[in-house]
Amino acid sequence: MIIQILVSGLVLGCVYGLIALGYSLIYKASGMLNFTQGDILTLGAFLGYTFYGVFHIPFILTVIIVFIIMLGFGMVLEKGIISKLVAKGTLPIYTVLATIAVSYIIQNGSMLVWGTQSINFPRIFHVTNIKILGVNIQTEAFVCILVSMICMVSLHIFMKHTRFGTSMRAAAMDPLAARSLGINVSLATGLTWGISAAVAALAGMLIGPLYGVYTTLGATIGRKGFASAVMGGYGNMYGAMLGGAILGLVETFTSAYISSSYKDLVAYILLITFLFIKPTGIFNERAIQD
Amino acid sequence: MNLRLKNAISNRKKDLIILLVLLLMPVFLNVIHFEYAFTIVSFIFIYIIAVSGLDIVFGYSGQISLGHAAFFAIGAYGSAILHKYTHIPVILTMIIAAFLAAVIGAGLAYPASKLVFHFLSLATIAFGEIVYQLVAQSPYEITGNFTGFFTDSVSIFGYKLNTYSKFYYFGLFSVLVFLLMKNNLIKSKVGRAFIAIRENSHAADGMGINVRNYKILAFAISAFFTAFAGGMYAHCVKFISPDTFMYKQSVMFLTMLLFGGTASRFGPIFGAVSVLILNEALRATEKYQLLIYGVLLLIVIVVLPGGLYGAYQDVAVKFKKKGVNKC
Repeated sequence: MIIQILVSGLVLGCVYGLIALGYSLIYKASGMLNFTQGDILTLGAFLGYTFYGVFHIPFILTVIIVFIIMLGFGMVLEKGIISKLVAKGTLPIYTVLATIAVSYIIQNGSMLVWGTQSINFPRIFHVTNIKILGVNIQTEAFVCILVSMICMVSLHIFMKHTRFGTSMRAAAMDPLAARSLGINVSLATGLTWGISAAVAALAGMLIGPLYGVYTTLGATIGRKGFASAVMGGYGNMYGAMLGGAILGLVETFTSAYISSSYKDLVAYILLITFLFIKPTGIFNERAIQD
Repeated sequence: MNLRLKNAISNRKKDLIILLVLLLMPVFLNVIHFEYAFTIVSFIFIYIIAVSGLDIVFGYSGQISLGHAAFFAIGAYGSAILHKYTHIPVILTMIIAAFLAAVIGAGLAYPASKLVFHFLSLATIAFGEIVYQLVAQSPYEITGNFTGFFTDSVSIFGYKLNTYSKFYYFGLFSVLVFLLMKNNLIKSKVGRAFIAIRENSHAADGMGINVRNYKILAFAISAFFTAFAGGMYAHCVKFISPDTFMYKQSVMFLTMLLFGGTASRFGPIFGAVSVLILNEALRATEKYQLLIYGVLLLIVIVVLPGGLYGAYQDVAVKFKKKGVNKC
């Protein structure tokens, strides 16, 4: 029993972690909160369902297609709206509100396309359960954790050990200096938004088979995902994953042992407590205070 | 000097005409048998007060709040529950609940005041969600949870304002009182301190303004406004349920404020009127509501950063200039 709770907590935690990863990347790159992440997760899940469940494209191929589409979507979002607003010199808060507006448009738009009913994401694997340490675990849950880990490691390698990742980090650290070194800062920022969107969409495809797909799937996950980003230290990639894991576990254990009606409450209490008491998070990410 | 006096007199005249129109409107509406308009107008009054509250925090003090639905909820549920268990007259419970919200607002702002913009918005979101969760799944079901909560209408000296048309004058009176309060607040030392903090909090600090205390004050006053509006909502509709106090509502307040124009006398009025009328006009397309709000918000942010009132002022200035040129 306890291992099953642990696993479902980790699954949820991985999804929160992937969302928060996007928050952290974007915050580092453009100092912005992005409220679209959650709804991009929904969109990713819907697209995944369409390609895999309706068009019967193999799952791996579906993942790649959706990943690329959402990468483009994130970049268009940044280039089309965010960077324009920044260039106009509007207050940062208006840019944040613009992302809320976009999230509404995505949420309502996907409702118009896919309807209000919760859609069952068809099974990905023929084997329903696998045995680990003598405990039956749903295959999709296992894959969700595995893929998140792979995603995390490959992002780490991309950011730390490739030329492009290094230039992205440089652009985030000091745009002016990066530009004078010949780094295409605009492209780097755009790509950061693209990667964040793609990762969120991936999370959507991972959680879709477990939770079903519906229009508000991502909205709540997205809002609670802020708790994991803040807990880990806003702007810290590893902190985001760790915060996600903590949030997922706390939430699942609360609903298992106390009451499932308190699971949302716990997430927001964690968020507000960390903001007030330790806003720099576990990894002590600097400067989010006035 | 003479010109200023003249302007003041003509402004007075304009205000009087508007007031007269507003006072006579119910008669007119009754004559043409358009009773449904009272419902819309009542909601407009409620939202004007709520959005004015948000304007104090966001427009004047430059602090973001994405959790104002929480204060709306505290006002509504606070007043309704207090009235049910203590039988204090409704108007008093509304004021008590608004004060309670002000205290809670100050309690929230005390630790939140050190957070910068982005993280303040997260903290207020979390606050809003916590209040929503507590209302939707309250201990001992004191709020009636998802089933909702029925309550009484406002009564003045035993006269019950139990229809929207009877609510009209009470709503109008409340709006006038709150707008006057807001106007006087902004013109006072406190209001100037708010604006100074918005423009540059470090400079304000250097001028000897206690930034933290004023931020707390801004939140408390703002919460008072919005909570009173919440109380009005509860006793006007006579039924409240958690659905009204979701995150969406906080964004709605902000949409109205931005759409009308921030930090102005008429912004909240423009915003509440236009968004609510739009809402009614698009009732048939309720499915697309969020989509429409999203597009509206985006348009305002990208095209009309000053909101409707800002755009109106720009146009007015242009016309005035043209007039001067002709002379």
